[in-house]
Amino acid sequence: MIRTRLLYHRPATLGECSDLLAKYVGNVAVLGGGTQLLPQMTRDEIHVEHVVDLRGLSLDTLVFHGDDIEIGAMATYADIMSSTELSALVPLLGRAARGVTGGSQIARQATVVGAVCHNYPGSDMPGVLVALDAKMRIHGTSGLREISASDFLLSASKVDLRPGEFVVSFLVRPVANIGYCKITHSTGSWPIATASAVRDHATGKIAVTLGAIQAVPIRIELDDLGQLDLQVRKAVVAPWSDVLAPGSYRAAIAGVVARRAIGDLQEYG
Amino acid sequence: MSIDIPHPVRSKREGTAIPSLHAMKIDEVPSDQPLRRDGNLLLTGRAEFLDDIVPRGLLHAAILRSPHPHARIRSVDLSLAEAFPGVCAALSGERAVELVGPMPAFFDPAMIGCRTFEFRCLAVDTVRWVGQPVAAVVAETLADAEAARDLIRVEYDILPAVLDAEKALESDAPLVFETWDDNLLGKFPFAEGDAEGKIANAPHVVAGELRVGRHQCAPMETRGCIASWERSGKLVFWASTQNPHPIRTNLSMMLRVPEERIQVIAPRLGGGFGHKFNGYAEEPLVCALSRLAGAPVKWLETREECLLVGAREFLHRFRVGFGDDGVVHGLTDRIIGNIGALETWGGWAMTFPAGMTFPGPYKVGNYHVESMAVVTNKAPWSGYRGYGKEQAAMVLERMMDLIGQHLDLDPVEVRRRNFIPREVFPYWAGAKHLDSGNYAGALDKALELAGYGELRGRQALARKEGRHLGIGVAFELTPEGGDFAGSFLRGFDTSTVRVHPTGAITVLTGVTSPGTGNETTIAYLVARELGVPSENVAVVQGDTDACPYGFGSFSSRSIGTGGAAAVLAAREIRDRMSAAAAVLLDCEASDLKFADSHVRSMTDPTKSLLFSDVAQTVFRRALATPGLDEPLLEVTKVDRPHNFQLVPDAEGRFSAYPSYPYSAHVALIDLDVETGVVSVQEYSAVDDCGIVISPKFVDGQLYGAIAQGIGGALWEYQPYDDVTGGPIARTFKHYLTPRARDLPMFRLAHQHTPSPFTLLGTKGAGESGVSGAMAAMLNAVNDALTPLGVTAHQLPLNPQNILAAIERAKR
Repeated sequence: MIRTRLLYHRPATLGECSDLLAKYVGNVAVLGGGTQLLPQMTRDEIHVEHVVDLRGLSLDTLVFHGDDIEIGAMATYADIMSSTELSALVPLLGRAARGVTGGSQIARQATVVGAVCHNYPGSDMPGVLVALDAKMRIHGTSGLREISASDFLLSASKVDLRPGEFVVSFLVRPVANIGYCKITHSTGSWPIATASAVRDHATGKIAVTLGAIQAVPIRIELDDLGQLDLQVRKAVVAPWSDVLAPGSYRAAIAGVVARRAIGDLQEYG
Repeated sequence: MSIDIPHPVRSKREGTAIPSLHAMKIDEVPSDQPLRRDGNLLLTGRAEFLDDIVPRGLLHAAILRSPHPHARIRSVDLSLAEAFPGVCAALSGERAVELVGPMPAFFDPAMIGCRTFEFRCLAVDTVRWVGQPVAAVVAETLADAEAARDLIRVEYDILPAVLDAEKALESDAPLVFETWDDNLLGKFPFAEGDAEGKIANAPHVVAGELRVGRHQCAPMETRGCIASWERSGKLVFWASTQNPHPIRTNLSMMLRVPEERIQVIAPRLGGGFGHKFNGYAEEPLVCALSRLAGAPVKWLETREECLLVGAREFLHRFRVGFGDDGVVHGLTDRIIGNIGALETWGGWAMTFPAGMTFPGPYKVGNYHVESMAVVTNKAPWSGYRGYGKEQAAMVLERMMDLIGQHLDLDPVEVRRRNFIPREVFPYWAGAKHLDSGNYAGALDKALELAGYGELRGRQALARKEGRHLGIGVAFELTPEGGDFAGSFLRGFDTSTVRVHPTGAITVLTGVTSPGTGNETTIAYLVARELGVPSENVAVVQGDTDACPYGFGSFSSRSIGTGGAAAVLAAREIRDRMSAAAAVLLDCEASDLKFADSHVRSMTDPTKSLLFSDVAQTVFRRALATPGLDEPLLEVTKVDRPHNFQLVPDAEGRFSAYPSYPYSAHVALIDLDVETGVVSVQEYSAVDDCGIVISPKFVDGQLYGAIAQGIGGALWEYQPYDDVTGGPIARTFKHYLTPRARDLPMFRLAHQHTPSPFTLLGTKGAGESGVSGAMAAMLNAVNDALTPLGVTAHQLPLNPQNILAAIERAKR
């Protein structure tokens, strides 16, 4: 059970939200979809007395500004999957979202931004956002700032959010040619390894981003596809171990997953 | 077809044939087969489980558990917890010994010559496993109880711990129990003939090692209990348990309360599987807490607490010697079971059937199996469907496939050549008096159901394309209905049938339902005897105030014991009502038939009475109307399968299990050799549990058992951290049970070889499927890996273990 006497806050503006987060720093959690937060609070893995709900900030939108697509912090996997415009422009997001476990109960409640802020290595979205070269738009007590997803993801379960800060949205550009591969043990398993392959529209070059292999995603730019195995082996220096699989296994299949994502891109992407 | 088998308790009117064989064609679903009577409640969320019970003034308990695998407790300071707002009581081990006596075991190891220890509901001076209860808090809300629990201060002196069973057997291993010489609870030998000699002289020998990683049954509903002391001093105890009566007896002893002043109620279970055998510390603990707090107290097992409990972890080293024809000459298996730190729970004894089930369905006169129960500082075992028998199945089925591989013979043919043939039953085979069997018939039927030939064809084609399909054939012999005299695990049970004046009927039985549907079947059986609709029969289970003393649910016993007893009771009532109706209708009692809610003369159908009128008349006119001499329409009977040898016979043979259902399984998997990921493509099974009363419920049991077997073989694992000495899998994201998308639709078919020893010809169907599924997965994965020369003998057969096996073979 949640063991603290929780105080629930629902700010109406971004400024109010940042002020609350700064005021209660160290003793406050952000509530997005809550699909990670609530189980963690129930198990007392997170022990805070304040919860700040983002629900009142109208962050559940997908906005298409020309070449930039801004996806709000409260946009759920279901929102992602049901947007035909997004499926056409950034198919990788919907593709990965469709493979997330938990069915419609999770899909309708869990948010992509939440998954990225949680940054658990065994998950899909950190790798996907790094593959898309996404930008995180963050609001703090001094206003807005932007940072690339790869800079945002510091280490396992750690992201670059300072006191008073929360993610408002993330921005991506259209990427038409993609491939995705994900290895899990069984349906209930979180990802053991993921790979997102994207082809740069301008240069035609393929980049593959490995997720769940290490604490944070690894992006590999490929000049020569023949060098893939070598580049993967060089890049995987500290494979991630968790209760479902040891690092040695993740390292062993990193090349396989990368190759399959590229194959997927070449065949279907 | 009729089978003429003498049965000592059949009523003379029935003759000696098993009645159901005349009543219906075996393979058809009877048209009067009722739907599960509580199905609507379950499907609409209206069914009541333990947590739905909320007595007035209910308080909540939280338990502080040891963070260390082995330590001395120096001090326990409850003061901060006791001062926390909303806290009503707190208890440590030192105080608890005054309130709760030593705990009786579910099955006492001393009964079979093993070592034991005295266990208390809260640790007093030593903790021996991470998770062991050390203290408890009761508060008005569960959240407050948990928060207060976090404030309890315990000082420990860490002691060396051992988690690995082989390490625990080394001479310098830390002792789990300081009063023992070593960490061996007991060693169970099963031997006939001269296995070592036969193997030494055999033309071929294959040896191997099989490791089964620790896993459990993962019931959907975890354990829980509620204790409430009434003003009269009566204790009412609700528990999500499979054995309410033994709990009552044990509580009486532990709490020093007369047994008649205790009522135990077992509500419906959301899964039992042996996890809910009695013997847990929380049972008396919650009673003590309730007494202290002066109010009802509820404790619910969290998922993390549930995942502490182990239920199997074994290592096998086996050898089999065989001829050019694939016939086994001799086999050995040295089995080590890591039973964790012993408690009074119902699991350690699974090491016994692990060995006893050898040589399974095979005619092997020379075998030597030794099964050892080794204690370590892991959390203990409770029971788990299969109860160790799956160990024998996995090793035997691997042997059959390995023999086939060695001789380039189809493993199906190897089995055929080794089966005990159908003509010899009943048959003595090493500590088992096998009742009946047609093993080859079941296997053939399964192969046909699976399209075995076509599967091999697809496999060959796939191999050409570089894909690795694996076909796993497995046969499972599942001893059921065990009786362990001296314990509360008995092979008989008791039922009362009571007819009311309005013709309604109540059955009160000592067997409980863990969700199998046996209450529906028992109602159906009684209704069938008395010719009334099933809906007119109520079945009361799980209430020690109402039901005759019974042993609950385990070992697939409910129909063979409680169901049969209810049938016998119903028949005697029918005899009494026949006598009354004969007087009222002026005809012979033997002329009367009970059907369609009527009692009717067969020779003159105009002579007929409503069943309810006969009942009503008995109550209103017995002992007044001449001829109506029997006023009591209530009968209590005991029954059991009649195939026990609980005292060694002249040849020293002993058999504690009376019933032997069996099943044949064929599985098709697709193995991705680059990642080690297994996908289960197809699954077929043929089950023979003798006469089947409720085909849908038997199918339901098979679906569940096969799913558990697949999960245990491929994904489920409870790893331990060598540094902290504690379990790592704490949620269902860590402990991967199969979900719907992981499993194909199972194809099931049945064969019926009745038991000659049970009233109804049944054998029990609660466990069949687990062993076969585990063995089928093991064989399927190894079959897929054969072209690579790889053997995978580390369960779970998850991707990393399979990939590691592939890597090892390359070196």
